[in-house]
Amino acid sequence: MMETSSERRKILVTGVSAALGWFLGGGSALAQIALNPTRAQRQGDVLVCLFLRGGMDGLNAVIPYGEDAYYRARPTLAVPAPHDRRRAAEERAIDLDGFFALHPALKPLYPFYQQGRLAIVHACGSGERSRSHFEAMSAMERGAAEAKAGINDGWIARHLLSAPRKGASPLRAVAFSNVLPESLRGSTDAVALQTLSEFRLALPKTMEATHRETLLDTLRELYAGADKDGVRQTAQETLQVLQTLQRVQPSRYRPAHGAVYPDSELGRGLKQVACLIKAQVGLEVACLDKGGWDTHVAQGSTTGWMASHLADLARSLAAFATDMGAGLSGVTLLAMTEFGRRVRENSGLGTDHGRAGVMLLLGGGVRGGKVYGRWPGLQPPQLEEPGDLRVTTDYRTVLAEVVQRRLGNPHVARVFPGWRRAAMGVAVSI
Amino acid sequence: MTLGAADRLWLNRATFGVTPAELRRLAQMGRIAYLEQQLHPNEAGEDWLVRLRLRGFEVFQTYPAELGDQPVSEVLRQLQQHAILRAVYSRYQLHERLVDFWRDHFNVHARKGLCAYYLPQYERDVLRKHACSRFVDLLKATAQSPAMLLYLDNASNRRGVPNENYARELLELHTLGVRGGYTQRDVQEVARCFTGWTVENRFLRPRGRFRFDPAQHDDGQKYVLGQRLPAGGGQRDGERVLEMLARHPSTARHLCAKLCVHFMGTAPASTVQRLAQVYLQTDGDIAEVLRDLLLSEEFMQAAPVLKRPFDFMVSALRALNALTDGNRPLQEHLEKMGQPLYQWPLPDGYPHGEEAWKGTLLARWNFAIALCANQIRGTWVRLPARVGRTQSADALLQAVFCLSPEEPSLQPLRKRLQGSIAQQAAMILASPQFQRR
Repeated sequence: MMETSSERRKILVTGVSAALGWFLGGGSALAQIALNPTRAQRQGDVLVCLFLRGGMDGLNAVIPYGEDAYYRARPTLAVPAPHDRRRAAEERAIDLDGFFALHPALKPLYPFYQQGRLAIVHACGSGERSRSHFEAMSAMERGAAEAKAGINDGWIARHLLSAPRKGASPLRAVAFSNVLPESLRGSTDAVALQTLSEFRLALPKTMEATHRETLLDTLRELYAGADKDGVRQTAQETLQVLQTLQRVQPSRYRPAHGAVYPDSELGRGLKQVACLIKAQVGLEVACLDKGGWDTHVAQGSTTGWMASHLADLARSLAAFATDMGAGLSGVTLLAMTEFGRRVRENSGLGTDHGRAGVMLLLGGGVRGGKVYGRWPGLQPPQLEEPGDLRVTTDYRTVLAEVVQRRLGNPHVARVFPGWRRAAMGVAVSI
Repeated sequence: MTLGAADRLWLNRATFGVTPAELRRLAQMGRIAYLEQQLHPNEAGEDWLVRLRLRGFEVFQTYPAELGDQPVSEVLRQLQQHAILRAVYSRYQLHERLVDFWRDHFNVHARKGLCAYYLPQYERDVLRKHACSRFVDLLKATAQSPAMLLYLDNASNRRGVPNENYARELLELHTLGVRGGYTQRDVQEVARCFTGWTVENRFLRPRGRFRFDPAQHDDGQKYVLGQRLPAGGGQRDGERVLEMLARHPSTARHLCAKLCVHFMGTAPASTVQRLAQVYLQTDGDIAEVLRDLLLSEEFMQAAPVLKRPFDFMVSALRALNALTDGNRPLQEHLEKMGQPLYQWPLPDGYPHGEEAWKGTLLARWNFAIALCANQIRGTWVRLPARVGRTQSADALLQAVFCLSPEEPSLQPLRKRLQGSIAQQAAMILASPQFQRR
C-alpha cells in the first residue's frame, strides 16, 4: 500500500527501457517491428478517445433515410438515399440496415462495418440540455449526466486511478493537443504533446550533449517534492516520458499493411498513436481532438464543408485500423461529440445546436456491423424542444461498457458516479 | 511581506512581469497614481523606441478588403508580432493584460473563413479602443465588427429560420454566463433580434463594414428575458438587447468573476459580489472594477497561479531585458507551448489554470534554453557577465525575480544552479518558481 507511485514508476521505466532496448536492437527502426501481441501481458485494450468538437451533425453522418421527415426538414442539406436513382451512385448514402445509411464521405469505414469491427450508436448523448458547446463537452469529458452535476475530474482520469494497474508507464495517457482535455483532468499520468518527434529537450548547437544530462538532472531536482503539486508531478512525468521516448524514433515509423494516413492533424495524430502502441511503451489511453463540426453556415450535403471533415475522419480511422492489422484486437477507439444538431436546416444553410448525436466504436472487441440505440423518430411531436433529436441512449452506457469489458476495469461506478447501470452489448468481454 | 516584496508581487499580477525599472516607477508614483496612468493609455506616452518598433505594420494600414492578397499566415505573423511587442515593451502594461483578457473573452479564430483579414481592425478599433471603457460600448463594437459577425455566423443570420450561433454565445459567453438565467427560447428570440446584422458585400459599396439589412430582418414582436420588444424595431432590436444584457446583474457577476480569474487565478464569491456592485453602480465601467480589484486585499493574498504560455514567454523576455523583434522564430515557440495568438478555435478563448497548461512544460523548458543560449533568431539577451558560479547565479536571480537571492523561496533554486551562465539562466526560467505569478 505504501509503495509510492514514483518508486513503482522508476522500476517500470527501467523495465520499459530495457525491453525497448531489446526490442529495437541496435538502432533498428520501428518500421521493422512486427506487432507481437503475445509479448505484452495485456490486461485490457488501449483506449483511443477521439472527441469531435463543435457538435457533429449525426443526422448527416449516419442518415435515417427511412424517415421522410428527414428530407422534409432539410431540403438543401439532406443526403440522397441509397436507392435515389436521380443521383449518381457516389452521391448517395451507403445503406447499412435498410433504415440508416452512411454519408458517402464515410465510405472508407464501410468495410470495417461489414467486418463487424465498426459499431454505431445513434440518438446518443448526455442529459445536458443547455445546448452550450462548453457545458456539453464538459459533461461528457467528466463522465457526468450534465455539466452542473458537481463532478470535477475527467472520466478517463478516474479510470486511470481506479483501473488495475498494468504497471506504471510514464506514457499511460497521452493527449495529442495543445492543452490537456477535461477528460484527463485530475490525472497525474497524462502529458500533452503536439508531435512525438518534437518531444525532446532541444539543446542549441552551442551546448554540448553532455549538458543534456546536467540540465535534466537540474530539472528533476527543481521539480522534486510536494506530492500534491500538480505542476511538479506533471514535470516529473514529463522527464520520465523523455527518457522512454529517447529510444523510440517516430520519424522513422512506417505504417504497416499499406495503410496511408491523410496528412491532416487527425491522420498525423493517429499515426503517432499507432507508433506508440507498437513500440509497447505502456500506452493505455490516447486522446485526440478533431474540430470543425460547428456547421451553422454552409454545412453542405454530399459535398462541402462537413463532407470534407467526414472524409478526413473516415480516411484517418481507416488508415489506423489498417495499420494496426491484427493488433486492432487490443484497441478500442471511441469517437464522440458533445451534441448533435437541429433537425431543421437554418437560413444560412447550416444547422444549429441540437441534442442527440452519433457515437462510433472501432476495434477488434467491438460488436460491429450494427447501428445501436432506440430510434426516437423525427416527426415534430417526437422531437425535443426546439426541434431536436431526443437522446435515447445515455452516452455513459457506451463508455461504461468499454471501460468494463474492453479496458478490464471493474470499477465502473467509480468512473461514472451516479450512472444507472445498463447494458447494450456493443463490446465483447476481454 | 516587505514593502519591496509586496510591490513586486503586485506588479507581477498587474503586468506581464516585474522589472527593476517598473518597480522603481511604482515606488515613485504609488499604486493609485500608477493605476491611474495605466488605465489611461496614450500612444504619445510610449517610449519613442517602442513607437518606432510599432510602425510599419502593413496589416494595420490597409483596409481589410485589400488585405485579401496576403496569405492568412502573413496577417497572423504581423498580428502576433504586434501583440508580442506591445506586451513586452509597452508602458501601459495593465492595458496590455486587459487586451489579452478581451482577446479571449471575445475570441475570434483567425483560421475561420475570412476572419483573419478583419482581425487587425478588430484588435485596434474594438478591443484596444474600448478595453477599459464602459462594457456596453465594447459589447456593441464587437457585435458590429465584421470579425465577430463572420466568426459567429451572424453575417448569415436571416429572418425565417434564424442562425442561433451568435445569439447563444452572446448570452452564454459574452454576457450573462451559462447559468445567468436565460432559456432556449431567449436564445431563439435574441437570434431573431439580430437577423439582418451583416457585413457589407454589395457591388460598389464600401465592402467589409457593418451593415443592417432591413430586408433580412425579422421585424415582428419579440420577448427577450421577459421583456417585450414591439414589432418594427429594426436595428434597434439588437441594440436594445445589447444594452439590456450589458446592464444585467448576471453579466456583472460573470464578467467580474472572469476578471478575477484572469488577474489573480481565483474568483472568491465575496470579491465577485463586491466587484459586481461596482460594475452595476458605474454602468459597467471596467476601469472602476479593475481599480477595486487591484487595490483589494484578496488580490495580494491569492495563491500563486501557473502563468499561461503567453504570460510565461513575455515575462521571461522582460525578466532578461531581452531585445526582440517578436517575429516568427519567437512565435513558433509560443505555438509549441500551446498558445499561438488568435488561434483558439472555440468561442470561449484560451483557458486558464494549471489543469489546462501543466502538460506542456517541456516546451517552456525548451524555450528557456533557446532564449538563454541566444538561439532564437531576432531575439537577443545579454546575460550579466559575472565570474564565479555563486556570483552569477545571485546576479541572475536578482535580475529575474527582483528579489534578494537570500529570499527563502529562492533557496531550493539557488543551491541547484550549475553550469554556464546560459544554463543557469535557462534553469531559472524553467524553474517551478518562474512558472507561477
